[in-house]
Amino acid sequence: MTTQDLITKIGLKPLSKFEHRDVEGVFVSDMLSDVMAGAKSGNLWLTIQTHKSIVPAANLVDVSAVIITSGKEVPQDTVDLASKYNIAILSSDLATFELVGKLYGLGLGAK
Amino acid sequence: MSECQHQWEMTNIQFGFVVFEKCFHCNELRTYFSVEDNPILGDKYREGDHFWSRAENAQSFRFDLKCTRCNHVEKFDDLMGLLHCTGCLPDCEVETLRKKYEAQKTWILVAFGFLPEAKTEPIPPHKLDMLTDYFNQRRDTSRSMIKIVSFNLIEDLSLCKGDFIHDVGMLSLEPPPGRKPLF
Repeated sequence: MTTQDLITKIGLKPLSKFEHRDVEGVFVSDMLSDVMAGAKSGNLWLTIQTHKSIVPAANLVDVSAVIITSGKEVPQDTVDLASKYNIAILSSDLATFELVGKLYGLGLGAK
Repeated sequence: MSECQHQWEMTNIQFGFVVFEKCFHCNELRTYFSVEDNPILGDKYREGDHFWSRAENAQSFRFDLKCTRCNHVEKFDDLMGLLHCTGCLPDCEVETLRKKYEAQKTWILVAFGFLPEAKTEPIPPHKLDMLTDYFNQRRDTSRSMIKIVSFNLIEDLSLCKGDFIHDVGMLSLEPPPGRKPLF
């Protein structure tokens, strides 16, 4: 499954400019340190955090996309930084719990 | 010298806080890792000629690296955190490296040791190389790579506006305002 597939199947809204890539598993956390310690390359990272520090953290651990849940507004400087580093920032109006359910239904789980 | 082609994994992961303290007498900054539940901001105390005040707490973690092949453990209790270069100082050596490496799709991050000790005893280059290897082993390096460099390359710490990858202001649902300079 790719980020393009997810955008189509779940109705995610792409915010940054990025190249589509394969998705492998899901990681849910609102703490950067937790992501740095535990996320794996190719994971989707689900969070409600929107400040621009999420971009270097996502880049460091090579997640396939960051999905901002609950329809939270993402500051433009976060989007711009993500575009610079080819990091996919996607937005969903769904709460994290609901989105996890949909992703699980598509066959994605912890990598 | 080990012949092992190390394959690193994180071990001894411990979550806590990086505490930033400033002496309001001499303006010196010091940092340390705390496993307190919630270090109190604004806490003031005297230590010799210094009058320390807790300026900021950042939720963070510390870890060691363990080779899954030879079981060698390298301790990283001297690593305060990683900083993302924002390109704020055009003549800074980190910025020069950032431009050079980003052209090769290699992203630079700056490793900070705890202050003030790290100013005289920075994290040694072989450990920065281990960190670089570790984060590259975790990623799809055909897309991009990571390089960790020393904070000693920063031209002027007092002017650096780099962003630590720390959990600061993460308890708020609103984006935090710009972080005040720490140095």
